[in-house]
Amino acid sequence: MSPILACKHLTHYYGKRKIYEDLSFEVSRGRILGLLGKNGTGKTTTINILSGYLKPRSGECLIFGENIQTMPPALRRNIGLLLEGHVQYQFMNITQIERFYSAFYPGQWKKEAYYELMRMLKVAPGQIISRMSNGQRSQVALGLILAQNPELLILDDFSLGLDPGYRRLFSDYLRDYARAEGKTVFLTSHIIQDMERLIDDCIIMDYGRILTQQPVGQLLDTLRRYTCRVPEGYVPRLPEAFHHPSVVRGVMETCSFLPPAEVERVFAELQVPYSELKAEKVNLEDAFIGLTGKY
Amino acid sequence: MIRISKIFLFVTLAVLAVWQLPWCYAFLTTKAAPSRFVMYSSLLDDFILTGYTEGVGITRQDPAGHTYSEHEVDSLLPLFYMRQLVADERFPDSLFGVAVSPREVQQTSFNFRMRPSAVNAPQTGLYFLLESMPKRVDLEMPADAFRFTGEGVEFIVMDTNTPDAGKSARYTRMLSDKGFRFPPREVSGNPTTMKEYDNGYLLLDADGKLFHLKQTVGQPYVKPLPLPDGVEAEHVFLTEFRDRQLLGFLIDTEHRFHVIRADGTIVRTGIPAYDPARDQLTIFGNLFDWTVCVSSPGVNHYYALRADDYALVKSLDVETASDEVPGLSFTSPYDRYVRPRF
Amino acid sequence: MLQAIFYKEWIKLRWYFLLAVLVTSGVAGYCLLRMDRAIELKGAAHIWEVMVLKDAVFIDYMQFVPLLAGILAALVQFMPEMQRKCLKLTLHLPCPQQRMVFSMLASGVVLLAGCFAVNIGVMLAYLPTVLPAELTRNILSAAAPWYLAGFAGYLLTAWVCLEPTWKLRVCNLLIGALVVRAYYLAPVPQAYNGFLPWLALYTFALSLLAWISVSRFKAGKQ
Repeated sequence: MSPILACKHLTHYYGKRKIYEDLSFEVSRGRILGLLGKNGTGKTTTINILSGYLKPRSGECLIFGENIQTMPPALRRNIGLLLEGHVQYQFMNITQIERFYSAFYPGQWKKEAYYELMRMLKVAPGQIISRMSNGQRSQVALGLILAQNPELLILDDFSLGLDPGYRRLFSDYLRDYARAEGKTVFLTSHIIQDMERLIDDCIIMDYGRILTQQPVGQLLDTLRRYTCRVPEGYVPRLPEAFHHPSVVRGVMETCSFLPPAEVERVFAELQVPYSELKAEKVNLEDAFIGLTGKY
Repeated sequence: MIRISKIFLFVTLAVLAVWQLPWCYAFLTTKAAPSRFVMYSSLLDDFILTGYTEGVGITRQDPAGHTYSEHEVDSLLPLFYMRQLVADERFPDSLFGVAVSPREVQQTSFNFRMRPSAVNAPQTGLYFLLESMPKRVDLEMPADAFRFTGEGVEFIVMDTNTPDAGKSARYTRMLSDKGFRFPPREVSGNPTTMKEYDNGYLLLDADGKLFHLKQTVGQPYVKPLPLPDGVEAEHVFLTEFRDRQLLGFLIDTEHRFHVIRADGTIVRTGIPAYDPARDQLTIFGNLFDWTVCVSSPGVNHYYALRADDYALVKSLDVETASDEVPGLSFTSPYDRYVRPRF
Repeated sequence: MLQAIFYKEWIKLRWYFLLAVLVTSGVAGYCLLRMDRAIELKGAAHIWEVMVLKDAVFIDYMQFVPLLAGILAALVQFMPEMQRKCLKLTLHLPCPQQRMVFSMLASGVVLLAGCFAVNIGVMLAYLPTVLPAELTRNILSAAAPWYLAGFAGYLLTAWVCLEPTWKLRVCNLLIGALVVRAYYLAPVPQAYNGFLPWLALYTFALSLLAWISVSRFKAGKQ
C-alpha cells in the first residue's frame, strides 16, 4: 500500500542557514505520526512544506501520491489543516464559520460533528472567534476539521497556548476520532506528554537530520536509560550508539537502544571504569531528551 | 498567470521609471531660463532685446549688438513706455509726423496672448451672451447661458435651469436665416464684464463659414463674414480691443494669420505661419506697429508688422534653450489633457 | 463556492462598507450642500459662470475620498487574512487558488463600486436640478479619475498587504504611491477624457499584482 504522505530528499535553507538536507520519511494510512524536535530543528518548516506554504530548496512532498505544489485543488478536500495556535477566521462567529466552510466540502461535510463539539463550549451563538479563549478556539478549529472529515490531518503544534484541560480534551478527542475513522494524522507539538497518549509513530529530529523514526511502542520498548558510577574526573568517550553521555557527581547517564548485555560488553571492551550499571525504561519525554540532549 | 502578473509589474515599473526619472532630473537641475523681452521699435527700425546676463545685469541691445541705456530704450519705445515718458515729461507731441496723445496711445495699444493649451482644451459647450448695447455703462453678465445643438441654439435660464424656448427660437431662426449651419465648429468669445464693450461671438459653422453673433438691445445680430478665396478657416479669436478697429483674428488651415476688421473684411497679415495648436502667440500692438512673437519649441519668431496694413517689416528668430529631458509625460504645456506622450 | 467566498468577504467588509457609504456620500452631500448654499447666496448664474469660465467643480473635497475608501477597504479585508497567516486557511480550501484570490478582490471591487455608485447617485439626484447636463458632466468627468484612484488604491493596497515580507512591502508601497499619482495630474473637468478608458483598463489590471504577493506567500518568502 502506498503511503498517504511521503517526503523525499527534502533540503531546505533559510538564506545560508541549513535547516536540513536530504530528509525523507513516509506516513502510512491510518497512522498517527508525531514529529518531535527541539525548537529550530525544522518542525514548522516541515509542516509548511507539507501544507504547500514553503517551497523546499530541493526534494518533494507527495500527498495521496501528488506533489503538494502542483496538487489539483479538489484533492485538498481530503487534507485537514490546523495552523499553529488554532488560527481561524477571527472575524466570524461559530455559525458563520461553519456556514462558510460547509460550502467547500459538499457531500463530506459533517455538520453534527462540529456542533456536537460546539455544544460543549460555553459560547454565545453570535460571539466572534477573536473574543474566545485559546481553548475555545482550539475546539472550533478541531470541530471544523472533524466536520471536514478529511483522510489526512496535518496539525501544527496543537498544544500551543492551551491549558492542560483543553490539551487533554483535544488530544483525546482527536485520538478517538482518528482511531475510529482510520484517519491518518501528521502532527507536531512542543509538549511531549500530550503526544505519548496520541501518536502511533514518531520522528525525532535533531538539527539537520532525523534521529529516529519508529513506532512509539517500539521506541519505548527498546530505548533504555543507563546510569552507572564512574570515578571522579572521568570523561566519557562512547560510540554513537550511546546518546549524549554525561557525568554529574560521579554518575554517568546515557541513552541507548542497545540491550543491557550488549552495553556491558561494549563498556568492558572500551574499559570504561564503571560500577553499578542500571538500565531503565523511559517515557516518551525522557526518551526525547535522552536522544536529543538537554542542550 | 504569475508570468503575466510579473510582466505587468515590470511594464508598470518601466513606465514609472521613464515618467518619474526625467521628472526628478528636471526638477533637480532646472534653472531659471534666461528670458528675453523683445520689442520692435519703429524709431530704430529694429528689435530691441532686453535681457538679463549673468554677471552683467540687465542688458538692452539691438540684434546688431549695439547696447542702449534704459533711458534710451524708453525713448525708442515711446508708446510702450508711455507712462514712464509722461512721468519724466519726455513724451513727444508727435511721432512720424502724427500728433499723439497719451490718451490715444492708451486707446490704441493692446496686447494679445494665446497659448496652445487654451486651444487644445476640453470645451464645456456653454456660452454667455452679453448685451452689446447695455442701458448702463457697465457690462452685465446675462441671466441665461446658451448651448448649440445639432438643430439650433438653446438658451437656458440659469436660475431655474429651464430652457427659454422663445429666445432660443429667435436666435435659431436668425442664424438659420443668415445661412448658418448647426452645430458650429468653433465658438470664440470673451464672456466677461471686465472689458470695455461686448462684441458677442465669432462662429465657424458646420461648413466652416464665418459668422459674427451678438445681442443688440435684446435682439440677435448675426452677420455672415465671407472668407477670401482659398481661405479655409481653422481657428478664430474674438479680440475686443479698446480701439474697436478689429473684430478678431482668423487662422486658416494653412496656418496663415488673418485679421478680421470691424467692418468684416479679412486681411492677411505678414506673419508667415502660426499654428495655434503648437505655438504660443503674443502680440503687442500700438498705433504704428505690432510686435508679434510666435513661440515654437526651441525658437521664438519675432515679427514686426505695420499697424495699418499688417505688412511684415522685419523679423528676428531667437533660439530658446530647451531643457526638456526625453521621457514619458502625462501632461503637457501644449494642451489641457492628461494622456501619455513621449 | 463563489457565494461562500463573497460571504466571508462580506462579513469582513459589511460594517466598513456601511461606514464607507455613509462617509463618502456624506462628503459628496456636503459638497453639494455647499454648492446649494452658494447658489442661494450668489445665485445660480454665478455658479454656472465660475464652472464654465474657471473650471470650478465644487466637489474638490471629494478628491481623495474614494482613494481613502479604497485603501481602507483593502486594509479591512486583507489585514485579517495576514494576521497570523490566516491566508493559509483560505488558500487551503479546495478551490483553485487563483480563483479564490481574484474572487476576493472582485468582492472588494464590487462593494467599492456599490459605495461609489451611491455617491454618484447622490450627485445625480441633485446636480441636474440646478445645472445643465454639460456642467453635471464636467463634475462627473473631474471625479472619474478620483473614483478610478479608489479602485487603484484598493488593488494596490491588497498587493502591499498580501506581500509576505516587510522589505518588499515598503517597495510596493512606494511603487503604489507613484502609480496613484497618475490619477491626480489634473483636477479639472474632462482632462482625462480620452485616456480614461485606458486608465480604467490599467486600473483593473492592477489586480494581477496581488497574485505576485500570494505566490510569494505560497513559496514561504520571509
